[in-house]
Amino acid sequence: MANFRQFRPDDLNKFSKCNLDPFTETYELGFYLQYHAKWPSLFQVAEDQHGNIIGYIMGKLESSPDYYKFSEHYLPWHAHITAVTVAPEARRLGIGKMLTEQLEAAADANDAWFVDLFVRSTNHKAIQFYKSMGYSIFRTVKDYYGDHSSDPTKSSEDAYDMRKPMKRDVKKEHIRENGEKFEVDPSDVW
Amino acid sequence: MSYGRYGRPALKNSVDVQLQTAFTDSNWNTVIRLADKRFKTLKDPYYEAIRIAAESQLDGTTERCTALIAIDELVKSKAVPDYDTLELLEWAARDYLYDTEYAETLGPLRARWVKANPKSKFSVKCLQSCLEYWDLVSAQQIATTLDKAFANSGDRQYMFWSITLTYLLSVSPQCSEASKKVYSLLVVKQLERAADITENAEKVESKDRGLLQEEEISLYYRVMLSHGSKEDFISRMQSPKLGPLAQLKEGRKDLFYQALNAYESWGEWDRIYDLCRQALRLGLDGVTPTFSVCDYKVWKKFALAASKSKDQETALGEVQSILKEFIALKTNTAMYKKNIALALLDTAFRQPEVPGSSGNDSGVTPRVIQIGLYLDSYFDKLSAFDDVKDFVAELSFEEVKGLMEEVLPKMLEEKSDKSSQVILKSLICKLRYLLTTCTQTLSHNASVVDGQEQDKPYQCRLCSTLTSLPCESCLRSVVTEAAQIYQQIVDDSELLAAIPRLDKDPRIDLALVMGNSILKLSGLRPRTSDVAPAPLRDVNPSLFLQAVLVLDTQLKVTPSDVALRLLLAQLYLLLGCASYAYQIWTPLEVKRTIQDSLSPLFFDRISSLSPGLFTGTRPLMEPLRSYYNNSLHSSCPLRIWDAFSSGSYSSILEMTEFDSKLRRSCTLMMSIVEERRATRAFGGKIECEIGDLALTENIDDTTTLLNKTDYGSFVNLESPHGPPIQEFLRIGPELSNERAHLSFLSEQYLDLIHHKPPKDHRPYKPSEAALKERAYTFETLSQLNNSLTSFIHRPTTPAALTSPEATYYTIISLLSAAVLTALSTTRADPYPSETMSVITSSIRTAFTGLRTRFTSSSSSSSSSSTNSTNGVDETFYSLTDMHTLSHVRETALAMRHSAAFVQAWNDRELARDRSGKSTLHKDGLAELKALDAMAAKTITEVKGHIQKLKEQLGGGGWLDKMLDWTFGGAAAEGTTEGEGEGEKTAKVRKAVEDVVGGREGAEEWVGKVVESWGQGVKGWGLVRME
Repeated sequence: MANFRQFRPDDLNKFSKCNLDPFTETYELGFYLQYHAKWPSLFQVAEDQHGNIIGYIMGKLESSPDYYKFSEHYLPWHAHITAVTVAPEARRLGIGKMLTEQLEAAADANDAWFVDLFVRSTNHKAIQFYKSMGYSIFRTVKDYYGDHSSDPTKSSEDAYDMRKPMKRDVKKEHIRENGEKFEVDPSDVW
Repeated sequence: MSYGRYGRPALKNSVDVQLQTAFTDSNWNTVIRLADKRFKTLKDPYYEAIRIAAESQLDGTTERCTALIAIDELVKSKAVPDYDTLELLEWAARDYLYDTEYAETLGPLRARWVKANPKSKFSVKCLQSCLEYWDLVSAQQIATTLDKAFANSGDRQYMFWSITLTYLLSVSPQCSEASKKVYSLLVVKQLERAADITENAEKVESKDRGLLQEEEISLYYRVMLSHGSKEDFISRMQSPKLGPLAQLKEGRKDLFYQALNAYESWGEWDRIYDLCRQALRLGLDGVTPTFSVCDYKVWKKFALAASKSKDQETALGEVQSILKEFIALKTNTAMYKKNIALALLDTAFRQPEVPGSSGNDSGVTPRVIQIGLYLDSYFDKLSAFDDVKDFVAELSFEEVKGLMEEVLPKMLEEKSDKSSQVILKSLICKLRYLLTTCTQTLSHNASVVDGQEQDKPYQCRLCSTLTSLPCESCLRSVVTEAAQIYQQIVDDSELLAAIPRLDKDPRIDLALVMGNSILKLSGLRPRTSDVAPAPLRDVNPSLFLQAVLVLDTQLKVTPSDVALRLLLAQLYLLLGCASYAYQIWTPLEVKRTIQDSLSPLFFDRISSLSPGLFTGTRPLMEPLRSYYNNSLHSSCPLRIWDAFSSGSYSSILEMTEFDSKLRRSCTLMMSIVEERRATRAFGGKIECEIGDLALTENIDDTTTLLNKTDYGSFVNLESPHGPPIQEFLRIGPELSNERAHLSFLSEQYLDLIHHKPPKDHRPYKPSEAALKERAYTFETLSQLNNSLTSFIHRPTTPAALTSPEATYYTIISLLSAAVLTALSTTRADPYPSETMSVITSSIRTAFTGLRTRFTSSSSSSSSSSTNSTNGVDETFYSLTDMHTLSHVRETALAMRHSAAFVQAWNDRELARDRSGKSTLHKDGLAELKALDAMAAKTITEVKGHIQKLKEQLGGGGWLDKMLDWTFGGAAAEGTTEGEGEGEKTAKVRKAVEDVVGGREGAEEWVGKVVESWGQGVKGWGLVRME
């Protein structure tokens, strides 16, 4: 069972179900608080009946700096999913999907053109999950990750920059077909 | 001028290049010379400020204070200072300006400047600076000035900054009680006015001073809840624009919850019922997305409110009707379906009559049927047990029988595939364990028969045996059944292959059920009072070791299981295997932000269990220390300016509250005290007195320190009728305000008696310095004694301490009194023999009690005598009770150091005043010497005890010995137990052997346990005993 609501700093004392899972990164306090301070509606949690956090999503709203405006890599006002996690006991119930939907609702409320996220190109499960929610690959960021999740002989891994257009993008100007073929360097990614 | 917090400000462009260069190059003497020259020539006071700023960078004490003096003069002058001068002086004084001083100096100067220049772009910088020093008084004044200056500009931010800061001030200790009332009234009025503008306007524009954004309305709700009356709040919640329902339609769920929670706190169930009903209707009608209303919390409150309604039947009928409509929706995700299923279950339990208790013979009541329906859909989910646990615990005994003997067996029969069968069987095992913790499964028997108290005063209604609490017969059955299912899985390759596709490996659940059951059978109970014996003294060691072995075996199979790892880390700490517990703990990667809530699970009392852990290459407490230093380096809550600049007003309030709690964290105090104790144990240098640390500077006796330990990841199979699992597993009571304060005060006492002035310290006037030292020492001792006594005598304190801790803190408190009395009685004074006698005899009595507890095990361990009841020799108890030994040592050393402190004082007085008039009374010295002798003798015993443990662990035969302790050797079997009992114990042992692979399967584990004991004792061998 779950309840969904905005993150509160006290939730950090109830993060164990998510953050003791080895696939969930734990950040410094300032990192969580920065998201809560700047984009509270894009930091959502799912809690169980005891108040334990069993899933959360952190996102932000931003655009590339103005001096980047004439670059082909300029990003207009959009929401970005920084982290999403669901505790092992709460998986396969659609909690990740619901958290993402709530972030998308907040993105729409803030007039974002699209929501984007980065995912390892070998993380097929996650890619499939996002595709099922309407996300598509916009570009491939070569050697974005400094390690490889499944091949220890490799020192890097590509990322897919995935996007989903929001209500503002009526003409679907910010997505494209065959996005994986558009390769960019990490330095092109703001 | 722009710079980071401690970045050096750039000088004005008008300043010449030569001076600019010298300033940039930190060429301070040149800056001083040039600035002075320019000042004399140009008469511009800015150059004087540059000179002062440069002078403050020099090494001399007087020079370093120049900026502070200049700031003081500016404050006194009442003139409006130049902005660039302020920037320079603030930077120059950055290392010497404490927050309180800022609030009396630069804060008011900043406020004064903004008042004179409200529309300047630097005004916001001034506000930011005040917030960085958490000077709320000046910050609020600046925000109010800005609000007035920009009232007609349409910039709403200033208005809400002003309101937010007025609110923060109204709840801050920076504000007097009288002012708090004024600010509370003010902030309520400001928000009411803003709310009224919204109510009365057809449409609120951004230039209006009404409430528009969610964050603004959230601030309004919070302030009204905090400072307004209940009636006002309820009345305002009826608003068609600002009420929770209207806000929910806008997708603002947080406001809806705020109102709901407020109503619940006031018991306004009719309002809750109406609000939930209308909200759920909005979801059904598609006005608001289902994720806005379909939380389980809403359903639960709705059902509960309906059950409290005057027309309960109709109200509950409405709940069910809405539930049915939601069930019919096609758009429900798996989570919502589950929430709805749970809501149906919840509603069944809210029905007015409990059919099972109305004479109906069948236990298969609607409530039981609903549990069955729920489990039929969700039995294979990891959370299934947690979801139904509280409902099952609420069933009557007849219903329990209906569930366990009819519904679940039938469900089991219907499962055709093997995976589903074993998952359901393991769930049934968990439920059977749960029922052993539920009171309805027991009936009272005569507790006294023929004048004899019966040790089995209950009859189990499930197995009909006479029993104590919990039913051991049922627990044994649970163990054997769980072991059988476990074996069934292990022996079936098809099942093993299916495990990765399941929600959870059922072997983990079965191992946990077995482990928990055997721990209960071993007699492990929560230690709730200060007279509780050592953790494993009353426990059957064989069963305890079997439980640990089963769980450890499972961890090897499923090393990534967090709950198993957490449980085992606790059990190994109880077993005295701290180094092995640490190996198990480390892969959990408790780091950064989650340390505050999770570190106590391993680090609480760690210095008393295994100081050797602190001798590793990386300081054990370093991650915690750096977390607190990074998070609390400034008195301003981390990232608060981000929240101000983003207009996140509710975040500002929450972050401020969180920051306040983090500063009062028991874990923070634990980390400091544990590290200091370990440092002392190895003769290391403690750099700073505990009271002088930045992290403790605002903690005094009135501060309530908070325990925020997160037990969420423990698998808790216990019913809500009894204590949760974590209470069974700890060495003693969890972190608490009382214990944290006592440890803080004790460390302050030790700082005082260990204090040695620097060797090169030669006071100018020795007699005057001695008088000051005397006054300071007396005052400190008196304060510490008062505080320690007060905390020790709080009614809640005994339950917050282990027995050795209670003795230790009591003796520290008494020592502070003894030392104060001895120091304040010179040879010329009448000796307060009665007072001193009471104090020292209390110390002796308390210390003897602690020593007896320790020596009773140490003398037995030296003879390695086998405990006739439990089959282990006393070495086992010694190894599992290093906590007592640690406190014996700490207490004895505190006694010795107190005596040495008094003696050194006397020697100094003798050297200073040859007349001998100021030397201490000989009787006082003698009393403390007697305590010293007593402590010295005990320290020798402690050393001997450690040496003997070392020898015993160095001896051979540990593999056989441990296997015998665990499984019972030939000699131990059938010692005092009757035939029947022996058979029952053998069944459990057989079940354990089956799961772990017999005695051979346990050999590697024995090696790890004994090695860890050895490492612990080796660490103790390095601990200083003087």
